[in-house]
Amino acid sequence: MELVAQFRKCGPRALLLQGLTFISVLTSAFMIWKGLSLFTNSESPVVVVLSGSMEPAYHRGDILFLHNGYSPIEVGEVVVYKIDDKPIPIVHRVMKVHTETATGRQYLLTKGDNNNADDRGLYNPGQLWIQRDEIIGRVKGFVPYAGMGTIWMNEYPQLKTGLLGALCVLSLFSND
Amino acid sequence: MYNLLQRLSGVLSFAVSVLMALTVLIAVTTPLIPSSPTHAVALHGVKTTTGRPMDPFDKTSRAAEHARLTFDVDADLTSMFNWNTKLLFAYIAVEFEAPGFETNKVVIWDRIIRNPRQAKLRLRRHHNKYSLRNFGLTFEGVEAANLTLYINPVPYLGLMYDRPMHSIPLTLPRATPAA
Repeated sequence: MELVAQFRKCGPRALLLQGLTFISVLTSAFMIWKGLSLFTNSESPVVVVLSGSMEPAYHRGDILFLHNGYSPIEVGEVVVYKIDDKPIPIVHRVMKVHTETATGRQYLLTKGDNNNADDRGLYNPGQLWIQRDEIIGRVKGFVPYAGMGTIWMNEYPQLKTGLLGALCVLSLFSND
Repeated sequence: MYNLLQRLSGVLSFAVSVLMALTVLIAVTTPLIPSSPTHAVALHGVKTTTGRPMDPFDKTSRAAEHARLTFDVDADLTSMFNWNTKLLFAYIAVEFEAPGFETNKVVIWDRIIRNPRQAKLRLRRHHNKYSLRNFGLTFEGVEAANLTLYINPVPYLGLMYDRPMHSIPLTLPRATPAA
């Protein structure tokens, strides 16, 4: 009842204004993300490590900052790649690079520091090399454990909905 | 004037801004910390054979030439450890030119160095950990081969960069047919 009274007092104009600020916050976040993506030439310039195959260098929940660029990949670089048919991007180190002179096409082989074997078992059946365009980005910097929130939200979806709902309600009723 | 929620959000947002500024500061200053590592690589020989080691996925590996290197490494990387060094990733890469392929780089050995006690490397007559072969089957026409030791410091927080250390030339011979 009290809420309804507050609605009445605010009037439709104030309510619309709140809605507008909410939308502008959302769109500017989206713009920054897309701008970063354009600048780094990477479809997702910030990723969270999901597996322990690069331990002890990267742990689950670490945030990686990627820059893809247009230059050829070097051996020893840690890259994030995504095989066409598999949904999850993988963070591993490049172990072999062969660059064809005529086409500039690169044949790359990766391996996780913590794995005993190279990644040929993770590629598509029969695939021996990955190509430049399967690489989302190279790791340029990282912040430890800052992405644990994302992992929790993926493991407990109720947390995600609850948090989003709470944010929406709060943003509608804040007075500044 | 201010309720508890507003105060809490103020404190939190200030804390997050301070943390972000500190993160940037640490990331930018860490590569500037001086270090004086010593390093040397010596090659004893290269022996090329056909068919070994086998790759379980690559069916051509049985017919391909594989080079087996024998090398020494002497390095003292203790000074590369500072307060923001989680580990050093040391690796040796062989690069060469082959017909039709302008650059070929293959990592043949690596080691994760987790603390200063492990940072004095003294390897005697080591062999490559990973197979060294050409993209084609043989080393025919392969030239300008080089072996380089690289160190990749991984910080607790910050930027990734590579440091090339020591480079020596080598030749990759063809396999001698079995008698």
